Amino acid sequence: MNNDVVVAISDLRKEYADSVALNGVSLTVRAGEAVAVMGPSGSGKSTLLNMIAGLDRPTSGSVVVHGTDLGSLDETGLALFRRRGIGMIFQFFNLLDDLSALDNVALAAQLTGTPASQARKRALELFGELGISNRRNVYPARLSGGERQRVAVARALMNRPALLLADEPTGALDSRSGEQVMDLLLDLNQIGQTLLLVTHDERLATRCASRVVEVVDGRIAREQSLERTS
Amino acid sequence: MSAVWSAAWAAVRRRMLQTIVIGVVVCASTATIVMALGLLESAAAPFDRAFATQRGAHLAAAFDPSKTSEDQLRHAAGQTESAGPFAQSTLDTSTGEIFMGTLTVAGRADPGGPVDRLTVWEGRWATAPGEIVLNRAPGGEGRTNLGFQLTAAGRPTLTVVGFAHSVTGSADAWVTPEQVKALQPTALQMLYRFPNAGTAAEVAEGQKAVTAGLPEGALLGTLSHLTVKDKATSELGVFIPFLLIFGVLGLVVAVLIVANVVSGAVVAGFRHIGMLKALGFTPGQVMAVYLVMVSIPAVAGCVLGTLAGNVFAKPVVQDAVEGFGVTELSFAPWVNAVALLGMPALVISAALVPAIRARRLPAAQAISAGTTARTGRALRVQRWLSGTPLPRSVSLGLGVPFARAGRSALTLASVVLGVMTVTLATGVTMSVTAYNEAVRPSYDDRVEVLAGRPEGMPVLRTPEMGEPPAASLSDADDEKMLRSLPGTAAVMAVSQLETEVAGGTQNATIFFYRGDTSSLGPRVLTGHWPDGPGQVAAPSRFLNQRGLAVGDTITVQAKENRTQLKIVGVVLTNNEDQIFADWTALNVLAPGTRAHSYQVKFAPGTDRAAFTAAIGQGDPGLRVLPPRDGSSSTAVILISASVLLTLVLGAVAALGVFNTVVLNARERRRDFGMLKSIGMTPRQVTVMLSTSMGALGVVGGLVGVPVGVAVHQLLVPAMAHAGQADAVDILMDVYHAPALVLLALAGVVIAVLGALVPARGAAHLSIATVLHNE
Repeated sequence: MNNDVVVAISDLRKEYADSVALNGVSLTVRAGEAVAVMGPSGSGKSTLLNMIAGLDRPTSGSVVVHGTDLGSLDETGLALFRRRGIGMIFQFFNLLDDLSALDNVALAAQLTGTPASQARKRALELFGELGISNRRNVYPARLSGGERQRVAVARALMNRPALLLADEPTGALDSRSGEQVMDLLLDLNQIGQTLLLVTHDERLATRCASRVVEVVDGRIAREQSLERTS
Repeated sequence: MSAVWSAAWAAVRRRMLQTIVIGVVVCASTATIVMALGLLESAAAPFDRAFATQRGAHLAAAFDPSKTSEDQLRHAAGQTESAGPFAQSTLDTSTGEIFMGTLTVAGRADPGGPVDRLTVWEGRWATAPGEIVLNRAPGGEGRTNLGFQLTAAGRPTLTVVGFAHSVTGSADAWVTPEQVKALQPTALQMLYRFPNAGTAAEVAEGQKAVTAGLPEGALLGTLSHLTVKDKATSELGVFIPFLLIFGVLGLVVAVLIVANVVSGAVVAGFRHIGMLKALGFTPGQVMAVYLVMVSIPAVAGCVLGTLAGNVFAKPVVQDAVEGFGVTELSFAPWVNAVALLGMPALVISAALVPAIRARRLPAAQAISAGTTARTGRALRVQRWLSGTPLPRSVSLGLGVPFARAGRSALTLASVVLGVMTVTLATGVTMSVTAYNEAVRPSYDDRVEVLAGRPEGMPVLRTPEMGEPPAASLSDADDEKMLRSLPGTAAVMAVSQLETEVAGGTQNATIFFYRGDTSSLGPRVLTGHWPDGPGQVAAPSRFLNQRGLAVGDTITVQAKENRTQLKIVGVVLTNNEDQIFADWTALNVLAPGTRAHSYQVKFAPGTDRAAFTAAIGQGDPGLRVLPPRDGSSSTAVILISASVLLTLVLGAVAALGVFNTVVLNARERRRDFGMLKSIGMTPRQVTVMLSTSMGALGVVGGLVGVPVGVAVHQLLVPAMAHAGQADAVDILMDVYHAPALVLLALAGVVIAVLGALVPARGAAHLSIATVLHNE
């Protein structure tokens, strides 16, 4: 693990019309770390993830990712940041139903201007690494939950992001599929992929994360470094 | 029922955008239809109603009193309903205080009778010598009022004591039978009503019956009520096919968009349907909810559209029917009834199919239904597009229409109709402009020079011209002088003669041309330009209104002289009362008459002002007329209506696209959220959705333009026929390659304009909100 700071959050506050989702959150994530953000429903952990991904804007405070202050970017700048700087995995996979698994993954590279042939070549490599090569031409509706999440992981990794964000990545999976995804994330982190997970699943956190951050009522209530269980 | 109403009202409020789209589309379409139906009703009804009320004459005939007697005419009429004989005279008002042309004056003891019962709408009937009643449509305005003294050379002064209207147009004025004798009558007028007179053949049959046994040559001329009706409705008739087409287009666009909106509402409301059923709504109630949901904006739009149609269409229709003397125009009740009842019925019919689908949808299937139907074709297209070198936002957009083929087809149909409308309206505008330029040229390349007062016409005196023209040089010297001016390209001398065409009240002005008639005279469509005495060329409207053709002979009377002229050609002009002859004919009819005006065409680059000044120096008595305003009220109305209807139907088509993109964007919110989460910029989302509709726009343009051109080729001849003109090449050949390309782009413009706002809305969706509302 090196000490390069990938995410630096300072005194982050996010207000909605009738509530405060985050209140004075500061957090640093270094390269190669795997950080799990945990907490009860409505505690603000997903809001925190959205701020880091540039999906939402803070009311005050700053979010700096790879040295870029996200507050200084407009909508297009944030899109370009998401394109290159991060990869995201969602609880419900969010694959496009009318694209094959391969095209769903290649899409992320094509948005950067990569030609279709190169994008598909890179996607095939990822399919091989993730063990789903035989499912590349299948449409999402015919994939299992675990397979869909692997496709989503492949898409997230397509542009070689320095930071992988995962929002409840095993939340919609059965236990066996969940295990497979956990193994995948662990493997990725072990080869140097910086990881930030939002999860309710303590098993996922203890297995994959090197550090757990607990958010309660919009504040960081506790931080704890972990010894991985596997 | 209250549960259905509550659910429907809630759906209306929740889908406010779609509700507004339905309302606006129905409103615009209803207004268009009210306008078209109102015009159709107004076109036929005033004449027919007035004709029936007055027991108008199916045939007005003029007989030569030197060849037949009044008793013979009465006897020949037999049992046929008739009025007359009335002695008929002509009154030349050219020397009077107010020029009213040559009036046909009939001697009638009273305005009633079995045929042609005149409506005296102001003043009273002429009952004493020195009194005259003028024919004028009710409410019409003229330069004469009650008490006006009408003078004509060699005739007694007549005082206007009333205004009456003859739908038949049997005379321009009436005096007592005793008075007409002092006006030196030249014909006997008979008015007939036949049991069957619906067709020209039936009128001819009737004419044959009432003239049987009369001496040969006794019949000078006739006027059929069909001709009168055609003439009365000819200007108006031009609008009928035009507005009918646009009315039908409005109707079709409305049906397509309503079908699109409603079916989209059902698909978008799958979960809603499932929930309603789960709550205990019966299938019938679910269907009722969807029908009521659509009916609310449809009824509102229909009422507003009917009001708008009555308010905005009336000025156009009023302009068109004012010739009937209609001052207070109101559409017949059936027009508004058809709009108010027919349009909602149409909307409900369009809604019925998807509503029945909603009725049949099982609750579980509805609740668990996906957002967008994926078909094999759509997937194959997307796969193929993924491999193309197109930017990904573009290739994704191109695949969107295939995901909802039915909706895309309806949207495409709207775009096609929109492009077709634009193409058609542009073509009609170009045709009208070209025709107007041909028959009423603005004379950018020529000057009109007055040399004096035409024979039988009043002195011309206008503020712009100063002293009336009075040529200093002789006719020949003036022409020679004009030809010698620097810049002169062609010169044509013109004179004219007012004549009465035998039969009815139809006067005609004969124009005599000399010089460069091929470049300055009217265009000859068929036959040839008159090249000798006894020949005349006439416009189609003159021939059509009198049932004449090339080769026929007409009898005209100028002053006291009566002569026969053979029609040798058809010329392209619009005035039904003007015919054209060669100068040699003038030498026979009125020897020694000089040209009263000249048309002089100047070479390109010639300065009009300097040229005009040079004419003044050549002959100070000549007056150069200011440049003409080439517009006509019909052309202005048609072009205005074209633009208005194009904007309305183009906007309606764009609304259809707008609605489709709103539905697509709503269904694909999650997809957009995901795409943005992996780096698709707002601009790329906008491009993607705009491309999805732009593709339909391209196809719409490629299909709509040829269809529009084809409809133009059908519509313009119908308009020309209704206007009693010819569908000549200048009317038909208006589309050229650059214009067609631009018109094809209209599809893209309609589609992209319709898509832009909802696409930008989708581009700025909050990703966090979308992706967390699973």
